[in-house]
Amino acid sequence: MQNKSNNPFLKVSTPAKRQETAFFWLFRIATYIIIAAAGYIFFDIAYKGVGVIFQLKAPFVNVPFLTEWPETLDIFKLPANQDMKMEVSQYARMTYENPKVNFVEKGTLEMVIFKSPEGVMKKVLPEQKEAFDADPISHGWSVLSERAVMQVFQLKEVSEIKIGNTLYRSLVDDNEGVPPLEHKTQVYAAGGIYPAIVGTVLLVVGSMIIALTLGVLCATYLSEYSRSGPIINFIRLSIMNLAGVPSIVFGMWGYAMFVLLFGWNVSLMAGWFTLAFMVLPIVITGSEESLRAVPQGFREGSLALGASKWQTIYKNVLPYALPGILTSSIMGIARIAGETAAIMFTASFVVRDELPWQVKHAGEFFFNGVMALPYHIFVVSARVPQNVYTEKSSMARHSSSWSSF
Amino acid sequence: MPETLEIKRLDQRPMTESLLSKNKVKFLGLGSDEIIKYFFSGSAWTAIIVLALITFSLFREGAGFFPQHHDSLKLYRLAGLEFVDYFRDQMTAQASLSRYLNELKLNKTLKLQAAGKGEAEIESLLAPLEQLRLDFDQAGLEGQALLDEMTSMAAGIKDRYTISEENRISRKQLIDAGMKEEADLLEIEDIDFAKEAENLKTTFLPKQKEVSATMAAKMKSLLAATKVENTIYEAEVNRFKATVSKYITGFDSVQMKMQDWTHDKPVPFYESITKFITGTKWVTQSFWQDWYGIVPLFIGSLTVSIVALIVAVPLGVGAAIYINQVASIQEQNFVKPFIEFVAVIPSVVLGFFGIAVLGEGIRVFTQWDMMAWVPGFPIAERLNIITAGLLLALMAVPSIFTFSEDALNNVPKAYKEASFSLGANRLQTISRIMVPASLSGIISAILLGFGRVIGETMVVLLVAGNRLEIPDFSAGLMVIFQPVHTMTGLVAQEIPEVVKGSLQYRALFVLAIALFLISLLINYVAQIFVRKYKISVG
Repeated sequence: MQNKSNNPFLKVSTPAKRQETAFFWLFRIATYIIIAAAGYIFFDIAYKGVGVIFQLKAPFVNVPFLTEWPETLDIFKLPANQDMKMEVSQYARMTYENPKVNFVEKGTLEMVIFKSPEGVMKKVLPEQKEAFDADPISHGWSVLSERAVMQVFQLKEVSEIKIGNTLYRSLVDDNEGVPPLEHKTQVYAAGGIYPAIVGTVLLVVGSMIIALTLGVLCATYLSEYSRSGPIINFIRLSIMNLAGVPSIVFGMWGYAMFVLLFGWNVSLMAGWFTLAFMVLPIVITGSEESLRAVPQGFREGSLALGASKWQTIYKNVLPYALPGILTSSIMGIARIAGETAAIMFTASFVVRDELPWQVKHAGEFFFNGVMALPYHIFVVSARVPQNVYTEKSSMARHSSSWSSF
Repeated sequence: MPETLEIKRLDQRPMTESLLSKNKVKFLGLGSDEIIKYFFSGSAWTAIIVLALITFSLFREGAGFFPQHHDSLKLYRLAGLEFVDYFRDQMTAQASLSRYLNELKLNKTLKLQAAGKGEAEIESLLAPLEQLRLDFDQAGLEGQALLDEMTSMAAGIKDRYTISEENRISRKQLIDAGMKEEADLLEIEDIDFAKEAENLKTTFLPKQKEVSATMAAKMKSLLAATKVENTIYEAEVNRFKATVSKYITGFDSVQMKMQDWTHDKPVPFYESITKFITGTKWVTQSFWQDWYGIVPLFIGSLTVSIVALIVAVPLGVGAAIYINQVASIQEQNFVKPFIEFVAVIPSVVLGFFGIAVLGEGIRVFTQWDMMAWVPGFPIAERLNIITAGLLLALMAVPSIFTFSEDALNNVPKAYKEASFSLGANRLQTISRIMVPASLSGIISAILLGFGRVIGETMVVLLVAGNRLEIPDFSAGLMVIFQPVHTMTGLVAQEIPEVVKGSLQYRALFVLAIALFLISLLINYVAQIFVRKYKISVG
């Protein structure tokens, strides 16, 4: 058996080696600090948001959150042992949203709904129908429904109820004389983010179409046609500089040029163009890389067979580069979907009551602003620093940036 | 017969469709391939055109700022606001002295409370101090009343001028539109600034002199009457006394300034530029005078960015070295996509995280008992430079990491191998060979990270605290716990509420121009670094 110290393969601890290990640990720690910080943010948002998006009961996804408009949340208390009535569907919604409150159902009740020419509704008991009809107040009112089924219910004890503003208003209207106690509201804490999702999707699709068209054309020129020279260098320099321009400057430019100078107002069009030009450098760089990745032999073979330059590009280069171009443009999609500064004065509204396509003329679709997720998060977090909803919308935002991967 | 048909097609095809046919359709003397080529080359110019359009539109909106700013400064002098502000400075200084006394009292109360003294005892101990503060405030009351009088008079002159100017414009519009009668109905008052200024001076100069004299006399007697020997606040009050004596001697120079003030002293045009670049106040939509000084915003942007870089550079560069030189393949495959993923976290989500979690977390951290020894802790503001800086660091890390890693990758393999063959270990190779060889790339990576940080909007708008003041650097390192406002944040905050074409609107565009130029400059310098110091293999 050899003496240990004579073993040439034995690890010997020298000062230099210890120093090396120490420094490598420093670098390792730096790396994992980044990972821990970003990981904590992902975890925090996912942990708080997952309970909002998903649920344990079928259909396992919080459908109202994804399909409704943002609303004010009303928080109030109702007195116990007091007959209340509400339309059956609304009652179902209220019990669904307040699973911990002890509701006691007292049967159903049929009522007559009157509707005024202005659209105001009034529910009357069948025996009061004649009297109401004869009342001069109801002049011009028509009967909307003879038998509207109402649910009558009581609360076992005084308990806190949280519902959206529409439900709350109809509850108050239907139960005159039973005032809710301790009424509080939270802005944007109820309802969902459907219009914001729709707006973001529209913004992304439109601006990516513009950016991909221009970007692929530009990249094709740079990689297939151009020879290096001062003009090409200048073009490359501008592309790099364009990539470094802050998004708020793009926003100001879009505001000055599209919104004011072209008179498009705050609109989808203005947002499309602003975002498209903002993301253009990313698309060009990515597309050029994937075009360059197509082997030179493909081009040479095609040219040798007598195809023209355009035929070569069209048949033998672009199809092979296309998957790469699309993959690299995902980076651009992620950038656009999360961009706030560039759309806050060019494309986004705080609230819009209709969907973008619910318009009278096609032109209004293009020249109207939309709601967008990132701007919605901004509005919510700037106005109400800490409430439940900020977590909700942030989670939705995040799941959308996840889904773009 | 099908076979002959096939043969015929084969030999016809190249002739008609593509090859070398001389009789191709030509348009403006260009063949189809050339047209396609020019079409492509045209779209390659998009980037240049967009840059040119950005420059053009920003300058188009922003260029009007300096003439308008000049007009505003001229009116400031003409209408006598400047005259009033000389006296206002005097009164503001008095108010801040009074505030000092107030803070002193608060400070001492807290200290005494901490020492376990009862309320009545504290009150009796601090009674002379409180009396001093009350008397000192009393001494300034007359001056304050006079100042209010002066303010309303000067503001009146300014308002009358503004209204008459508006009327002049609408009258011209009416005349242009051919509505002569309506135009005649508009009364236009010609303001005689000379007379108004004379009036202002003759009314208020003697009054100001008298008020200042009584103020000085009151303060002097007050200082003489205040005896604070052998109290816990002796040193501070003595310092206060010295400051007040100096303050009183300054009255004469204020009077001189007011005496020498003339409304028609010309305002040189360069002042509209220098006041913008060196101005320390950003006040908008005020009834008195709007000030547009970029300094607090620039300092805000800069401090936040520097804090972010101080955090991000060691992390980003360290991670790049680790991943490129030390880490195993599996580790690389995990870390690289992860950090690239960090780059696409939307900034508004980070800002929201800052408001909801990080800001509160930092404040709670400073409230811990074990942190109480740090001077300045616990902090007052939840949203401050450090909160914004930390989040921005997370945004800068991916760019610094990616570009530094590229730079390390580009170092020729032979360098590393030569170093190893000479017996250097890995750390020596990294510190003596790899990092120096890729230094230009690392520096440009840092610059690009800086560019990303200084142009970031949503995080600073939500998290930096938005206080329009220069942070108090006398607090030393604790300055990072103060709120600031930034150029980007201010633009995003004020654009929705400005009137198109107003002075404020144009000022915001000048800010945007400044941001645009800063980002171009950073990019340019980064590229110079890459190009000039690129190592050549040979």
